[in-house]
Amino acid sequence: MKILPFVFICVALVKCKPENTTPTKPATTSSFDATKATLLKNGMFVTVSHGSTTGTVSLYDQAGIKFVVFDPFLSPSGPDLKVYLSKDVSATDYIRIGKLQSTMGRQVYAVPGTPLIKDYHYIHIWCEAFSVEFAHAEVK
Amino acid sequence: MKCKLFLTAAVVLVLWVEGLSQSVKRAADNYADFTIGAAKYQGSVALSIVHSWRFCKNRKLGIGIGGRFTSYFGANQYYSTAPAQLTSGSSSPLIIFKDNLPANIDTFLVKSPQVNSVNVSINLDYRFSKKVAAGFNIDAIGFSFGGSRSGNYRNRTSGKMSEASPTAFNILLISDNDRGSLNSEFYGKYFLNDRWALKLGAQFLFTEYTTATKVQQLPTANDRFRNKSLLFCLGIAYKFKS
Repeated sequence: MKILPFVFICVALVKCKPENTTPTKPATTSSFDATKATLLKNGMFVTVSHGSTTGTVSLYDQAGIKFVVFDPFLSPSGPDLKVYLSKDVSATDYIRIGKLQSTMGRQVYAVPGTPLIKDYHYIHIWCEAFSVEFAHAEVK
Repeated sequence: MKCKLFLTAAVVLVLWVEGLSQSVKRAADNYADFTIGAAKYQGSVALSIVHSWRFCKNRKLGIGIGGRFTSYFGANQYYSTAPAQLTSGSSSPLIIFKDNLPANIDTFLVKSPQVNSVNVSINLDYRFSKKVAAGFNIDAIGFSFGGSRSGNYRNRTSGKMSEASPTAFNILLISDNDRGSLNSEFYGKYFLNDRWALKLGAQFLFTEYTTATKVQQLPTANDRFRNKSLLFCLGIAYKFKS
């Protein structure tokens, strides 16, 4: 059984590459116009793991399309970070809003499909590749 | 039905090999084999015991049957929709010639998969010389066990967090009709002496999880997700006294 530690060392030695690292410059493009939109819900980010995530998140309706807006926003960088809109704090049932556009500054995401927004209460920053939640915000 | 056919075929194969060995008093080897496998963020440990009948001139060809315990472990491994009906749109044996249907294949990311399996294995080997041999083995039927794991199911725009457990029953069929966790190896073997041999090769290991609920709903409900791992493997084999 002395060979068992060797197996674990082999696995551990494989280099961890941070693929799809999130950009650190503020995101710029969006068709969202706050003056024409209706605020539905908002909340504050709470850090779950990996450094400190801060900021405010708001859900808007603009001509029937739902938008998620981070403003302001600051998050540590990480690989494969995604934004989820979910029904509960554990993200048991969620919608993938998209790839995190930037680790800082205002950013806007269009919610795909036509979900019943009243059933969704949380926004999550989730590292998909490593199954780690960076932060979440309860929106109400 | 397919399961019964496979079992019948396996029994016939065993009886045929047994009959051959008895009718012509074939020589046979019994050996134990310990193999470790490694690839990116994953590894395996396998222990097998094999009874191999020797055929051909100088007993170069070996056909054997054995039992193998395999333990697979990994980190952040992607499991894909498993049933052939979804991946290929059919469960016919001819799906081996069909392309996958990407639109039907979703993923289930398991943070720390760990699957143990015990299977009956089929073994083939050929001795090129006194020192060198090459072989192939594959699991045919057995069972799997292991703890429940949390995972992240997702399709293009939505997902669910779910618990999942190793699929209990394993059986080798054709292509994605396979079920459960099955190990197979291509290897070369170098004999150090009459008893001990070193082994080097590639391990192709399927592991499968069944989610607590049918997290995939389209095009039909599904709870089975499979990971196909290609691992570099090395091992050591010991031949028992005849």
